[in-house]
Amino acid sequence: MVIDMHTFPGFLEEICQDPKRVAFRREQYFLYKQHVWPLSLFVLQMNAAGIDKSVISAEDVTTRAGDTIVSNEEVQKLVELCPNRLIGFASVDPWRKDAIQVLDKAFGELKLSGLKLSPAIQRFMPNDPMMEPIYKLCERYQKPILFESGMTWVKNSPSRYGNPLLLEDVAIAHPNLKMCMGHFGWPWVRETAMLILKYPNLYADTALLYFDSPVQFFEHTFKKDLGEYWIDRMLYDKVLFGSTYPRIEQKRMRKAVDSLTMRPLQRELVLGGNAASFLGLEEA
Amino acid sequence: MVKHYEFFVTTEDEYYTTYIGDTVKAFIAESGVQNGIVSVVTAHTNCGIIVTEPLDCILSDLNVLLHKLVDDDAEYSHAHFLPTYGRTSANAYGHLRSILVGNSTTLSLVNGKACMGEAQEIVFMEFDGPQARKVFVDIIGE
Repeated sequence: MVIDMHTFPGFLEEICQDPKRVAFRREQYFLYKQHVWPLSLFVLQMNAAGIDKSVISAEDVTTRAGDTIVSNEEVQKLVELCPNRLIGFASVDPWRKDAIQVLDKAFGELKLSGLKLSPAIQRFMPNDPMMEPIYKLCERYQKPILFESGMTWVKNSPSRYGNPLLLEDVAIAHPNLKMCMGHFGWPWVRETAMLILKYPNLYADTALLYFDSPVQFFEHTFKKDLGEYWIDRMLYDKVLFGSTYPRIEQKRMRKAVDSLTMRPLQRELVLGGNAASFLGLEEA
Repeated sequence: MVKHYEFFVTTEDEYYTTYIGDTVKAFIAESGVQNGIVSVVTAHTNCGIIVTEPLDCILSDLNVLLHKLVDDDAEYSHAHFLPTYGRTSANAYGHLRSILVGNSTTLSLVNGKACMGEAQEIVFMEFDGPQARKVFVDIIGE
């Protein structure tokens, strides 16, 4: 099974009935010319890329921008429309006074499968004590967290919040809380490699593309910045396939992962086996 | 008289071809225009429109030729972040194949019918799918 851990559903037609909301998404998510298209086309694109399931995430920026970019309810709606292909992650703005209630509803009532947090976009330090109730709730529901780590293209989102090293304290304090560092924490990829090597509950996804074509950028990141055999020999059970769709097509990111030096079993884990474990799908 | 129509082609794979002649002919019939010209143009820059014989072998040969002429993985300049889009381009091969085959065709219209040889068919060609592709049909005449 191939699972894309890192996609954004904000321009799927089924949740784009309000043109003002679409314009808000384009501006807030820095995807100015993104077309709106139906969920059925997203499924065709997954098929063409050989992807079985995609994680779609909400994005809550209520205290900063006055609204969610994509709400938890919209994510749940999409998952209900395509339950065999989509896995829904909630979002909560940690600065909201009702953050715990929002998250409790997302897990308890909406049955979403995990939490997406975007420290740079939402402007919080992952190791800030104010995050403790959120982490404890995730532990109580046994839900994993996907962090936007490293650089985000979204404007007005200072990169210091995205430094993956900020997750080290959280990993130590919450050894049973599974956390994935999105974008492999780029440009802090060596720090990310260190963290996933050291902490059993930390993972990283491959949704990184900042220069060049995906294949060329992976060549540089995973064969020059990092050792060519590091994933194959050591990190094969800690790296999850992610695309960052629709900033780039899933098929191109799949091709980039296919270009990495890995043996078949290790590749199978990176493409989906690790995500299935991270998401608890194996136990379902 | 000028009649303008639009329709979508949902393509199902990265490289994908489909015949669109029947759709164009339906618009001609609907327009009521008897004599003039018909223009068929795609709104996109990484797909194409051609006229050729509707045979799988011809389309297969064309596929091979386009992949010989345009490498998927050459070191293209068009492989970088686009600030005005907020996303990364990495589809130079699609643009180049589109440029090679062209993005439109024009047909004569006589007595309410498109002038086409018996072996001719209009083909929509996708070079970077799957996508929802818009096609314009303009019928100009009397």
